[in-house]
Amino acid sequence: MDSVRAVATVLVKELLDALRDRRTLVTVLLSSVLLGPLVLVAVSSLVAALEVTAERREVYVAGADRSPTLINFFERQTYTVKAAPPDYEAALRSARLADPVVVVPADVEAALMRGEGPVIEVVSDSSNQRSQSSARRIERLLEGFSRERSTISLALRGVSNELLAPIHIETRDLANPQSRATQFTGMLPFFVMMAVLYGALNAALDTTAGERERGSLEPLLMNPAERWALVVGKWGAVSGISMLIAVLSSLSFMPAQWLLRSDTLAALFRYGPREASLFLVVLLPFAAALSAVLMAAAIRCRTFKEAQASAAVVVLVVSLLPLVTVLNPGAEAPWQLWIPALAQNALMTRVLKGEAMDPAAVLIPLGVCTALTIVGVWYVARTLRSAALR
Amino acid sequence: MIAIEGLAKAFFGARLAKPVSSWRRAERVRVQAVSNIGFHAADGAITGLLGPNGAGKTTTLRVLAGLIEPDAGRLSVDGIDVVQAPRAALARMGVLSDARGLYPRLSARENIVYYGRLQGLGRDAAQARAEALAEMLDMRPLLERRTEGFSQGERMKTALARALVHDPANIVLDEPTNGLDVLATRALRDSLRWLRTPEGGAKCIVFSTHIMQEVERLCDRVVVVSQGHTVAAGSVAELLAQTGQNDFEEAFVRLAFGDAAASAHPPRSALRTAVAAGAIDG
Repeated sequence: MDSVRAVATVLVKELLDALRDRRTLVTVLLSSVLLGPLVLVAVSSLVAALEVTAERREVYVAGADRSPTLINFFERQTYTVKAAPPDYEAALRSARLADPVVVVPADVEAALMRGEGPVIEVVSDSSNQRSQSSARRIERLLEGFSRERSTISLALRGVSNELLAPIHIETRDLANPQSRATQFTGMLPFFVMMAVLYGALNAALDTTAGERERGSLEPLLMNPAERWALVVGKWGAVSGISMLIAVLSSLSFMPAQWLLRSDTLAALFRYGPREASLFLVVLLPFAAALSAVLMAAAIRCRTFKEAQASAAVVVLVVSLLPLVTVLNPGAEAPWQLWIPALAQNALMTRVLKGEAMDPAAVLIPLGVCTALTIVGVWYVARTLRSAALR
Repeated sequence: MIAIEGLAKAFFGARLAKPVSSWRRAERVRVQAVSNIGFHAADGAITGLLGPNGAGKTTTLRVLAGLIEPDAGRLSVDGIDVVQAPRAALARMGVLSDARGLYPRLSARENIVYYGRLQGLGRDAAQARAEALAEMLDMRPLLERRTEGFSQGERMKTALARALVHDPANIVLDEPTNGLDVLATRALRDSLRWLRTPEGGAKCIVFSTHIMQEVERLCDRVVVVSQGHTVAAGSVAELLAQTGQNDFEEAFVRLAFGDAAASAHPPRSALRTAVAAGAIDG
């Protein structure tokens, strides 16, 4: 009973202490909680810009007057033909021009008549993302022109249209709208995890290394409270703050989706109360484990600054582990659920894809996080007394 | 009442500067911080633990506060064994240690009440004690201020109030006047004298210091420690009589460093040991 009261006393004090640190708190809130939604909105405006280019049905042509046949084809496809600027190469390189340019050679009409197969260039810059995405569209347009020419000339010689297309290709896309959207929203879990991490970071360091640096740890241990009770209280406060940040950043995507600029993405990105609560199921144990790990990393350090160096290792691991999925794309392997950070990333991606969550997927990371928490708290409690003296 | 008998404690301190061979880590130096310290401190009296730097004062008080386990010796507080029941012993002690860190974002009152709650006081009782201690230590205007930016004296008062919040029968202070100016030192002395009186609770007060004047003015009983041993104990007058001196400083030097120091220069060996122990016992 006494220990329970000691835990509560330490927890309340550490929470009060952390909440008084307004500047840090505001920085964490602004940088981590707002970052995810801002990225989402930025991605959506990029997608919206791509959609606008796709819908515009414009084609930039250099030397349009040299081939009335081609221009006639473009216009029949309801494209607007625009003259390319004379310095189109430089414009493409510097991304001033967002569309690829069709370059028509000098005597193309005569070459077409003679069936010499003249070369028509589509000029784009592959480092210029926007021109690259519409280059494919223009190529398809030109392929259409090529097909039309061949069909006409063969039809004149009495060849059936059927023979020219011995097979028909139809594509069927199995991805549901939500999983298609994860192409764009795939990095959101990463931002949420970083928010949770930075939420815990400052409080974890302050209650361990900060306490040593101030010289307040030794007097604290001269109270008749159990050491584990002190540590559990501190851990409770740190993970409480981290969980608060987790809740805020999970909820922040709900209003963020109203700001989505792209209609397609807005239709694809479904993030409602169900997704938010699944995010929390994944994130809350993670916040608890991260707090314990950060405290364990910091307790050996004499100063806050030294502790920041140790904590940087934890930050690095948490931010690099999700990259495993980027370096190793494809199906998510079962072992990934056993690795903290990687598991959370995988599970949140599943939520965004709208996939079902089986019990193992929830229970394994929960078990791993619980084990990490216990080990971390145990280590801090064990180290506390020797830490106070040095 | 605090009783310590035959206390001994050794540490493995800093590593040697040069390793034995180039690829092995240098060995740690074993430092015998305390060899044989023992004294009794009675209730209603102020007992001074006087010794040069590195004599083992801080180590002794840390063992008493349950922060370090002793290699040998018995320590008891009001009859409670410190090694066997450290928390019960701590509940009967108020310790102002060498480290006096406060929480800068909390007010002085919140700092004091926090410790009161950890000592097992109820919320109202802890608040009432904070008020009473503020009155006694003359720090009422400080109570609602955040402790960041407090002066040394203000910090000391807050730390002392924090240590005394549970109204302990035994008070242990490690070099309490370090860094205090004359007025703050005087105020502290007055508080300690009052705590010794029956109205103040007839506390058993132990404080360590290396300042002779402090001891002369305040202590009912002095325990002189040197190189980890108790070398003498008694009232100031008794110690003067024992060494046949009129000057307490001279008496202390003889007791702490031996008769060879009559020339007013302590022997080199004593100095060297004191410095070596000082590396860990600051």
